[in-house]
Amino acid sequence: MTLTLRIVLIVVSVLTTWMIMRKIRNSKLQIEDSIFWIGFSSILILFSLFPGLPDFLSRLAGTYTTANFIYLAVIFLLIMKMFHMSLKMSQLETKLKDLVQEAALEENRRRKMEEEEAGRSGANDEKTEIKQ
Amino acid sequence: MSELLIVIPAYNEAENIERVVNRLIREFPQYDYVVVNDGSADETADICRKNGYNLLDLPVNLGLAGGFQAGLKYAARYGYRYAVQLDGDGQHRPEYLGAMRAKMDEGYDIVIGSRFVGEKKPFTMRMLGSNLIELAIRLTTGQVIKDPTSGMRMFNRKLIEEFARGLNYGPEPDTVSYLMKQGARVAEVPVVMDERILGVSYLTPINAARYMIKMLLSILLIQNFRKRRQKA
Repeated sequence: MTLTLRIVLIVVSVLTTWMIMRKIRNSKLQIEDSIFWIGFSSILILFSLFPGLPDFLSRLAGTYTTANFIYLAVIFLLIMKMFHMSLKMSQLETKLKDLVQEAALEENRRRKMEEEEAGRSGANDEKTEIKQ
Repeated sequence: MSELLIVIPAYNEAENIERVVNRLIREFPQYDYVVVNDGSADETADICRKNGYNLLDLPVNLGLAGGFQAGLKYAARYGYRYAVQLDGDGQHRPEYLGAMRAKMDEGYDIVIGSRFVGEKKPFTMRMLGSNLIELAIRLTTGQVIKDPTSGMRMFNRKLIEEFARGLNYGPEPDTVSYLMKQGARVAEVPVVMDERILGVSYLTPINAARYMIKMLLSILLIQNFRKRRQKA
């Protein structure tokens, strides 16, 4: 690996971490979700500072080159993350659907009750009119 | 209206909720309460309606943080001075609320009902977790909270507003740690808690491990660079 590439890697990973931290700092992210990104960005920094680490892991996993290993690992990590997000999105959609239906049913019930009340007092008015 | 609102988060507590709330109504009529049914799959909501309890019935399950926040939104809307969490499974005893309330009047922002103020912690896995969180809080804030995982916490008006509005204000130790770091005054009052009598606990080993990782990372790392959103 050339020196330039290493410097670029370090700068990019530090910038990524900084961006993630800033978003968390401004309370844009729930803590549960930020844990993954903190872990991810610290791996990036770790790998760029100590390139021996991915080399070692690559030998361990039996991949031909370190680059292959990094691609494989990162893609796998992202696929897992995506699957979890997909799960979460399904749950969110279900909840949203339930919520909207609940709100509509509730609104319907309230209107019926109001109409009933209005109807009852209206009926009373008619009766008094007939008497007169 | 009383000055103190008891928020009772209930998720699938059909077996316990009557015992807990009836006792409150019978023996502690001086406090107001609200049951937050967090989208339970069992008859919790039906039981509450049948008995005419004061109920916030969430149509979907939000988890403890969302349910508790609903309770505090209620407290904020009706202008309660203090709000306290009392679990729907009956492990928190209401007879200690008076002492906690008295402590609040001394000017604290948060008062925690603590199992270990005067006592030593028993040596179990659960207490190992409690000790780790205690250590993490001491490292971040320099203060000692003997029972950080106790759910029995009382908050003052200012914090009720903050909890009602904020993101990442779960009723968990990391929020307490964060608020302490921001200057909130926290006190502990000794209490005794009961073991849950009926129903199952949420705390399986995997959940416990996940909870610990989240809490430690959150207290030691994330809360340190969170910015506090104060009301302008």
